[in-house]
Amino acid sequence: MINSCFQLIKSFVLVGLGAYGGGLVTIPLIQHEIVAVQGWLSLNELASLLAIAQMTPGPIAINAATFVGFRIASFSGALVATLAVVLPSVSLMALVTPFIDRIKHNQHVKKVQEGFKIGVLSLIIFASWSYGSVVLLNVYDLLLAFAAFVALVKFEGKLHPVVITLACGLLSLIFL
Amino acid sequence: MSAPNPLLKTTCPIIPYSQIFWTFFRIGALTLGGGLAMATVIRHELVFNCKWVKDEDFMSEMSTATLIPGAIAVNIAYMQGRRLRGSAGSLMAVAGTVFPSFLIILLIALFAMPYFDNPRVATFLHGCAVAVAGQIAFSGFIFARRSLHNLSSYLLCGFGIFLVSHVCLHPVWAVISSGFLGYFIFTARDLKAAKSQKNGTTP
Repeated sequence: MINSCFQLIKSFVLVGLGAYGGGLVTIPLIQHEIVAVQGWLSLNELASLLAIAQMTPGPIAINAATFVGFRIASFSGALVATLAVVLPSVSLMALVTPFIDRIKHNQHVKKVQEGFKIGVLSLIIFASWSYGSVVLLNVYDLLLAFAAFVALVKFEGKLHPVVITLACGLLSLIFL
Repeated sequence: MSAPNPLLKTTCPIIPYSQIFWTFFRIGALTLGGGLAMATVIRHELVFNCKWVKDEDFMSEMSTATLIPGAIAVNIAYMQGRRLRGSAGSLMAVAGTVFPSFLIILLIALFAMPYFDNPRVATFLHGCAVAVAGQIAFSGFIFARRSLHNLSSYLLCGFGIFLVSHVCLHPVWAVISSGFLGYFIFTARDLKAAKSQKNGTTP
């Protein structure tokens, strides 16, 4: 029990450290650590875990940590793995943010930040492409996703995004 | 509770820890999909609903959050919690973001695994997942509206997409290289602008 908890901490600290730039990037990392190295889940189990992770609240890395931790060492495993996956980013943030505060009004830093924003934009465009190519199975899905996008733009700041998400769920239940 | 908040340097009242936790708990509980979709909901809650943060500040902090390892939603929560109430606030925000997903996965692992095979449940959840695609595209729209002003920014954006999709570079390197390339482009632009202004005023 104690032993498997230590294994969980080690693996999920690694996942937390390597998880840069959004959930879709984390998936190969989780696959490597959980399926290939540790053999905690089979590839099929990982696929259904990822489906559940997409459909439930929260970042994928955290969902995966809770799920695998629970599988390996029940409640204490879930707790330990979830804490382990958050630990690296929280401690790095604690180290880095005071430094950022000091330099963020510098003219040169501001220019680099403008560039970062465009870099993040290209990352988001790539993410919506790769996510869309997995999730959107036919023309109706594409239309529904486009309708959700238009509704989000139209009601920006007025309607909570979750309302649109649930509406899409209901629509697909009614029409498909 | 209407004393000025020293961290915000405005007359905004100090926000209680419980309210920070509860707001981020709501965000964590109501967001399907990962970090980038979550960013839309965090922005909705903090910028429009609670009016705790300016949109401009939120977007810069979101791009910083992308550069630090870990789930983007957790990093954004950390930065915003810190902005509101310092280190303790950031821990509250992170706890609030993580707790709902922890709870829900536990409940699913305990009770709900069979229901995910039910076709009606699966259809409903698939519809939600489709909406998440729209949500990710929407966060791209917000960034594009703010950052793409001229040809060089379009080119820089296209270059970043090329780096992640065709060179298969790890995304963080794409963001970092766009950052530094952007620095040179914007510096050159400012120099050019200063030069032409000089020529304009002293003919």
